[in-house]
Amino acid sequence: MIPPVIDNLDYREQSPEVKDRFTKLKQRPVVLSVDNLGKTFPTPGGEVTALKGVDFEVFRREFMCVIGPSGCGKSTLIRILAGLEVETNGQVLLDGNPVAGPGPDRGMVFQSYTLFPWLTVKQNVMFGPKMEGKSGTSVEADARQWIDLVGLSQFENSYPHQLSGGMKQRVAIARALANRPRILLMDEPFGALDAQTRAQMQNYLLQIWRNLDITILFITHDLDEAVYLSDRILVLKADPGEVDEIIEVPVPHPRSLDQFITPEFVATKHRINQLIHPESESKEDVLPFPRMTAEGDDVE
Amino acid sequence: MSRSTTSPPPREPWFAVRRDLSAKRATVLTIISFALPLAIWAAVSYLPFLWHPDIRLQLSADREDVTTVYIAGDRVSKGFFPEFTEAVRAQNQAVEEQLKSEDPLGGISDSSVRRANKKILRHLSPILISNGIITEEQSKDDETIYKAWGDIATGAWVPKSPALTDENIEIVKRNWAVMSEVSPVYDSDNFISVPIISLIPQGKPSNPDYLPDPGQVFKSGAKAFTSPGEGDRPSMIQRVRHSIFIVFGGFLLAALVGVPIGVLCGTYAFFSKLIEPFTDFFRYMPAPTFSTLLVAIFLANDAPKIALVFVGTFFQLVLVVANTTRRLDLPLLEAAQTLGANQRQLLTHVVIPGILPNLYNDLRILLGWAWTWLVIAELVGVKSGLTEFIETQGRFRNFDMVFPIIILIGVIGFTTDQILALLRGVIFPYTEDGAAASANPLVKALMFIPRWFRQAVSERLPADLANHKSLSTKA
Repeated sequence: MIPPVIDNLDYREQSPEVKDRFTKLKQRPVVLSVDNLGKTFPTPGGEVTALKGVDFEVFRREFMCVIGPSGCGKSTLIRILAGLEVETNGQVLLDGNPVAGPGPDRGMVFQSYTLFPWLTVKQNVMFGPKMEGKSGTSVEADARQWIDLVGLSQFENSYPHQLSGGMKQRVAIARALANRPRILLMDEPFGALDAQTRAQMQNYLLQIWRNLDITILFITHDLDEAVYLSDRILVLKADPGEVDEIIEVPVPHPRSLDQFITPEFVATKHRINQLIHPESESKEDVLPFPRMTAEGDDVE
Repeated sequence: MSRSTTSPPPREPWFAVRRDLSAKRATVLTIISFALPLAIWAAVSYLPFLWHPDIRLQLSADREDVTTVYIAGDRVSKGFFPEFTEAVRAQNQAVEEQLKSEDPLGGISDSSVRRANKKILRHLSPILISNGIITEEQSKDDETIYKAWGDIATGAWVPKSPALTDENIEIVKRNWAVMSEVSPVYDSDNFISVPIISLIPQGKPSNPDYLPDPGQVFKSGAKAFTSPGEGDRPSMIQRVRHSIFIVFGGFLLAALVGVPIGVLCGTYAFFSKLIEPFTDFFRYMPAPTFSTLLVAIFLANDAPKIALVFVGTFFQLVLVVANTTRRLDLPLLEAAQTLGANQRQLLTHVVIPGILPNLYNDLRILLGWAWTWLVIAELVGVKSGLTEFIETQGRFRNFDMVFPIIILIGVIGFTTDQILALLRGVIFPYTEDGAAASANPLVKALMFIPRWFRQAVSERLPADLANHKSLSTKA
């Protein structure tokens, strides 16, 4: 439960330096532009609308999170962006050019572990360049650099089954970055990790993002994760999946774990919670089960 | 409290639902798993009170007026044996009574009495053979047999394995008394012309011929394997080689054609819908039903046999490989696409390397499948290989010769499978098996081979080339 005192603080209130940061951010070129995107799936019971009229832009070097209740079409959205699914209407522009099909200009990190088990860490990272027909010592040196970047130089000759979940996802990030993508799409990449590893991975990711010229679109269902990582948060609502609000996170950069209890952080989190879990719905969370203990007992 | 510190650790239970046993226990049980059937077989074979419904004759006799002839080595049922011996005793009784009567020869000519007596003489030969006095070829060597009669009668020699019953020793003595009176050594022209009495059949309890004992099976197996081939009868090694050739020939052909088709079916819906429905239908037609057809097409040698193994394996193989290909993790293909792999690269760089470990396992299982077609395949056209041997020996009821071959086929199939299973970890070090395999002492030993090979190759490489190689890996 979020203490009610925070309610007084408006998540839209930004300190001057945060405000300045957003002004600059919006002056940067648009990397990804999503224009009136819609997606319907045919089912035996008629068409189901997964996404409807989704409009947003991601600026260069921005870190944007997408959050929403389950079934809001987060995964469908990122799969369309990656080119793994085809939109029903609207379009996706990357640097102003419409995207068609998957390509190395949009790197993707999946929730499930997708390292090729038959390749070593280094060979996995070299997979993208190899598909482009590149090979040789320069590619290998390049791959080593990316592996260094995610701190796994000792494991470059290990096979994926020898790595922990967090290490696997770090390799997956390195593998996607080795293609020098314009944008990195991340579909709940830390969803399968335990809390400690996840916190560690969030830190690694922020460092990578800060050190590279890379734009990130990150899907999550974890409020803390969204607020901690993002410049802006795209909140989707379900049935049909529409943009509810795009929140500018008022938490200043650089981010640190201490900020989790700052008023800005808590207020933002509270706002997202309101959006994806409205009060009207929380009343429905009360179980119909009759009370079997005395009212007002010491547990209460 | 002090008691709890000294109490021994709790014993692991032998029976717990879905709980693994310790490695030691697992090994013990694996050994028992093989030892137990062998022990049961040995017990049933060597403990007469367990089963032994028959009597195996060590010595037989002729009966008048009965056409069925039993010779030593034959089995008669326990119920019939007393009847048999009684009949021979009654026959002897009749001869004795005849001799006491006024007409000792009973109106039969000298020559036919002699002939009957010579037969009785030779009835002893199975005992002499198993005691090692004469060889199998000497079973009609009347001189030696005659001498043996004398030796037994005088006590100069006592047969040990098997021994003669007291009753039969008495009969030998009785006959020898009259025989030696005529001639102390065998003389065909001067052979006793007064009827002598027959030995009484004797034997030991035994199992039916279709359950030979392990010792016998081992002996026959050793004999079958050491005897060389002659003429158009191949040696056992040649037969084994031929059978392996049929199985592997059919299997490898099926794999060569079937794996690419299966991979295509698993990769492209187009091939799946085009090929799989008919394949699915075809596999329900049993391969043996095609045998006559295959002979008509491929004539009588090895070709129709290989074709039968092929037909029996191919259709299963296509479906199994297609399924394995379809089971490849879809996200791997999606990830590859986002990394820039095109359609062709998806097949060559993701699908094929991705399914290899499972494909290997499939082929291992299908090789076992191919083995099951061996016997039927070798019956097609001209019988050949191990099956021909089983067929021939089985027809003569030489089941002690049949068993070693059946066991051999099992051993070949089983060891091939075990070796292939072990190699999987070596070939695919990146699988879970690979991790387990590298801990296996046997695999550690096997890993020496590739290491040795690499070393041998690098030593033989021209020095500058080897240097260049090491430089490039350092860079």
